This record gives sequence, structure tokens and C-alpha cells, in this order.
Amino acid sequence: MKRALAWLLWLWMAAVIAGAFLYAPLAKGFIGQSSRILFFHVPMAWVSFVAFIAAGIWSARFLFLGRRPEHDRAAAAAVELGLLFGVLATVTGALWARVMWGAYWNWDPRQTSIVVALLFYGAYLALRSSLEDRDQRARLSAAYAVLGLAVAPFLFFVMPRIMFSLHPQSVINAQGKVEMESRMVQVLLAGSAGATALFFWIHNLQCRLTALSDRKSALEE
Amino acid sequence: MLQLRFENVRRRFGRLTVLTGVSGGVGPGEMLAITGPNGSGKSTLMRCLAGLLAPDAGTIEYQEEDQPLDAASRRRRVGVVAPDLAFYSEMTVGENLDFFARLRRTSPERGLAVLDRLQLPLDRMAGALSSGMRQRLRWGWALLHAPRLLLLDEPFQNFDAPGERIARELLAEHLAAGGAAVVANPSPLEFGNVAGRLDLGR
Amino acid sequence: MWRDASTWAAEALAVFAKEWRCEFRTRYALNTLALFAFTTLVVVSVSLGPIGVSLSQGTAVLPVLLWVILLFSAAAGLPRAFVQEEETQTAIALRLAATPSALFCGKLLYCLTLTAALELLVTPVYLAMTNLNVKSPGLLVAVLAAGGYGLAAGSTLVAAIIAQARSKGTLFSVLAFPVLLPLILIAVELTRGAVAGDPGGVALPQLLLYDAVVTIAGLMLFPAVWNP
Repeated sequence: MKRALAWLLWLWMAAVIAGAFLYAPLAKGFIGQSSRILFFHVPMAWVSFVAFIAAGIWSARFLFLGRRPEHDRAAAAAVELGLLFGVLATVTGALWARVMWGAYWNWDPRQTSIVVALLFYGAYLALRSSLEDRDQRARLSAAYAVLGLAVAPFLFFVMPRIMFSLHPQSVINAQGKVEMESRMVQVLLAGSAGATALFFWIHNLQCRLTALSDRKSALEE
Repeated sequence: MLQLRFENVRRRFGRLTVLTGVSGGVGPGEMLAITGPNGSGKSTLMRCLAGLLAPDAGTIEYQEEDQPLDAASRRRRVGVVAPDLAFYSEMTVGENLDFFARLRRTSPERGLAVLDRLQLPLDRMAGALSSGMRQRLRWGWALLHAPRLLLLDEPFQNFDAPGERIARELLAEHLAAGGAAVVANPSPLEFGNVAGRLDLGR
Repeated sequence: MWRDASTWAAEALAVFAKEWRCEFRTRYALNTLALFAFTTLVVVSVSLGPIGVSLSQGTAVLPVLLWVILLFSAAAGLPRAFVQEEETQTAIALRLAATPSALFCGKLLYCLTLTAALELLVTPVYLAMTNLNVKSPGLLVAVLAAGGYGLAAGSTLVAAIIAQARSKGTLFSVLAFPVLLPLILIAVELTRGAVAGDPGGVALPQLLLYDAVVTIAGLMLFPAVWNP
């Protein structure tokens, strides 16, 4: 069953990549083929956001619902993957910004949010690596992740609203109007769904790996 | 009734398993003596019993007056003497005791009475105490809130003969009044009612 | 003279009183904060001096520098509230005796008063040294109060988290800055508004919301951070 799902995911992502280049039209106002990067950049940024929330939720479950080691492992894995996807999103975003506006970086609100998210991930991992005791490491990093979750709304929503934005208009704005052609939206949503599935699949593998490694070191003593 | 029971307590630090599943208990008027060489896990066990360290496995159950108490309540109820217990060096002995009395929501007079017996002057800065005097302060602090269970890790360390004699009296009085005590020491101490011995030696 | 301390609030106040009593006897935190703040102030002011700052540049840049000074001074002086307890090993006695929420509030109150002292010290001198004319002083006071609160509250919780780790100095900055950045950015915008004479609009309630969120997070998370 798992094998079948993995193959399905592979096919799905292959279709998304093909669709990004062959099926979806070019967006208006974008230089040349550069809008294609959207289909990679947006899903990865979305997954990074999902990872942030997931890490916070798993950490909260660890702290308040029984201190189960699997929740701590899940939170740490989510942060690691969030960092990976976040870096990819930042790099693709910077490349695209270079093509569009001539500068890799201009600190517009979305760029600021993703960088601060990366700082959070880095801080979480730095904290974990500085704590040797298992119980302390789990507790303290979980507390930090929950604090990050509490502050996240300010990071992702409040701050961008207050600051002037160079970012293109949101794909779906408050009234539900779609500003992009429907084919682009389809590829974008399919890409985001696929990337999310990819995240949870890799996350599951990582959690199982860490669980085995923990059991191994427990048995060694 | 007063009862402490711990079963199969394990604790690892990294790759080193310090406690390999130890069990024991004490009841009213009883003393549990924990012996073993340096590094055998005595202090680790004491910290777990005090609620300062969570064991990796095993259970620690504590009840007073037949009321089971969780780790957080146990932490506040026990009286602890330990070698690494330290106080605020910029405050006097009296101010330290007063501060902790406020935290424990009680009057400092019991602690002051103990320090009076141990002849520790209250106006001395805690940072200017000799090691023997620090140990006296630890005893005064431990008995501040009239604990029913005493957890004593190397309780007579640095004491001179009079100090040790008075501390032994305090312990005997505590046990006679129905309290319980767990005492950890590298070498076995001669005590009255030793209800049990736990040797962590290898 | 002592009074029967039978309430939670009395416990928190006892912690607060102890902090300031020890602080007055050593003056360590105040000295660190003042020294750091003034050194940074001098660097900023001297660097801007020869260039001269036009009115428009002043409105844009100077609010930022004020908050940078406050942020870095706080990072230099506030973590001690918990780090020192761990380093002098008084944390053991504290863990056994104190109610976590009361301890957190006592420490928070202490950090708040330290931050308030920092702001009272730095802001007038900064305004004078940079010749910055603030058109809405009321708004500035409100931003400093709300922003200072968030700075103190966030720093208190992060200090508690890193106090038990190694390499505490760098770890505090690494952990605190992502948490405090939204606060700083909103506060800078509001300070700019105060200088320019804007009424402040929607941003001030959001600053207060941030303060509330960080306080609640601190109260909820501190017991798990403090005790196993």
C-alpha cells in the first residue's frame, strides 16, 4: 500500500513539473519564462509554513499531552524539513526577484517573513544541539517551538500588512477573486498539494529513522 | 499516612546508565540509607526523588496523609540537603531564610530556630560563609517548612563534631515525630532505625 | 520584620524584591545595561555627526537606531535574571521552594523595571544627541511602554530557556531575535509615526496584542521550561 502511494506521489509530482512547463501559460507582466519558477517557489514556501505550524503543534502536544518521545521526534523532524524547504523557497524567490526586479534581495515583507522563519529554525536546531540531556532537550526546544507558533501570526500576517509590499498580489485575495488564469492556479494548487504530501512522507521516514536510532542507543547501554 | 515508594528507577546521561532500575521505599519514622562509591548514582537518585530530575523509566510515588502527591507537589514538600545547594551570596543568612520562607508561604521561625541551635549568625553574608557554615544553612533551609520527608545527600559533609552532633539530633527528632528520611552517603553511617539499605555499589 | 506571605502575589513580589535587593548591592545589571547603552549611543551619535542627518533621513533612520540600541542593551543585561541562578546554583533551591508561575511573574516584573529604567535613561539622551524632534510625544511614550514590555517579556522567557544550556551568551541572541523581530519592526514603524506626527493607526493595538500573546505564552510554557 505504502509503495503504491509513493509511486502515486512520484507520478503526481512528475505531472506537476510537466504541467509547470507545458500546461500552464505564462503570467502577464512577468519577464520571459520566469513565471515558471512560481510553481516551485510557492509550494516550497507553503510547505515551509506548514512545517512551522506542524512543529509548533507537535511541540505543544509533547509539552501538554503526555511528554511522548514520538512527538518530540516529530517536531524536530518538522523543523529540519522546514529549514530545507525554507532555504529552497528563499533561493528560488531570490533568483526570481533578480530576474524580475534586478535585485536578489529587497527585504519586502514576504522575504522578511521567510528569513525570520529560517532564523527560528536555525535557533531551534542550535538550542537542541546545545542540550545533551534528552529530557531537557525535548522540553526546552518544544517550549521554544510553541513560542514560535505563538509569535507566528505576527510574523506571517501582521508584519506584511503593516509594511509596503513589492510582492505580487496574493493569488486568491479576500473576495475570493482569482487573479491568475485558472490553469496556472491548477498547477499551483497541485504543486502545493504534492509538496505537502512530499513533506509528510519524508517527515514520516525521518521520524522512523530517529526512533530506530534512539532504540539502538538505548539498547547499547 | 506518609509513604514514599520508588520502583525500577532508571536514568541515563547520554550513553552512561547511572541508575539501572533501583527500587525502595520509606514510611513514617523510617530511614532508608543509600550507600555506594562516588559515581554510583546516589545523587542522581536523590535528585529524582526530590523531583529535580525526571527518571527515564520507573515510578516514584509519594503520599502524605494518604493523599498521593504529584512530582510538582512533592518537590515543594520535601526537605533537601545536598552538596550543590547554594544560596544568594549578596544577602545575609537571615535575609535568605526570610526570602525562602516567603516563597514557601510560611514563617521563617522554624528555620531560624534550627540555625540558632546550630549557632549560625543571621547577619553574616551568605557569600562569606565557610563550608561548614554553609552546611548549617542548608539544614536550616531544609527544615524551614516542617517537611515530612527529608532527602539528605551527604548531610554531614564539612561539619565539625558539634555541628554533626546537632544535625544527628535533628534527624533523630524528625524520625521520632513520624517523619521519614532518605540518606545518601558514600560510607554507611551508624544510625538508629535504619528501615532499609540500598547499596548502589558496583 | 516579616509579614505572613500567604498568597501567590506575595510570592511573586518576594522574588521581585529579592532581585532588586541583590541588584542594588552589586549593581551589576544596571551597570551592564547603562554602559552598553551609552557606548552604543555614543557610537551612533558620533557616526552620524560628521555626515549630518537631514530631516527626512532622520525620520527614517533614527527610530531604527533607537530600537537597535534598546534591543542589544536588553540582550546584554536581561538574561542574567535566569542565567545567574543557574551559574551560582541557587536555581536548585528555587526549584524546590518556588511556585513556577509566581517565580516567572517576579522575574518578569524585574525585567520590566530594568527595561523601563533602560528606556528612561536612553531615550532622552538619544533624542538630545540626535536632535530628533518628536511631533507626537504621547505616541512615543506609548510605543516605548508597549514595546518595552514586549522586549522584557520575550527576553524573560527566552532567558529561562537558554539558562540551562551551554554557550548561553550567543544562544540568547540567536533565540531571542526571531521572537522579538516582529515586535521591533512594529515598534519602529510606530516610532516613525510618533516622530512624524501620525496618530499611529492600527499598529499600536497589534503591539499590545503581541505583548499579551508573549505574556500568556510565558505563563503557559515556563513551568515546563523550569521543572522536569
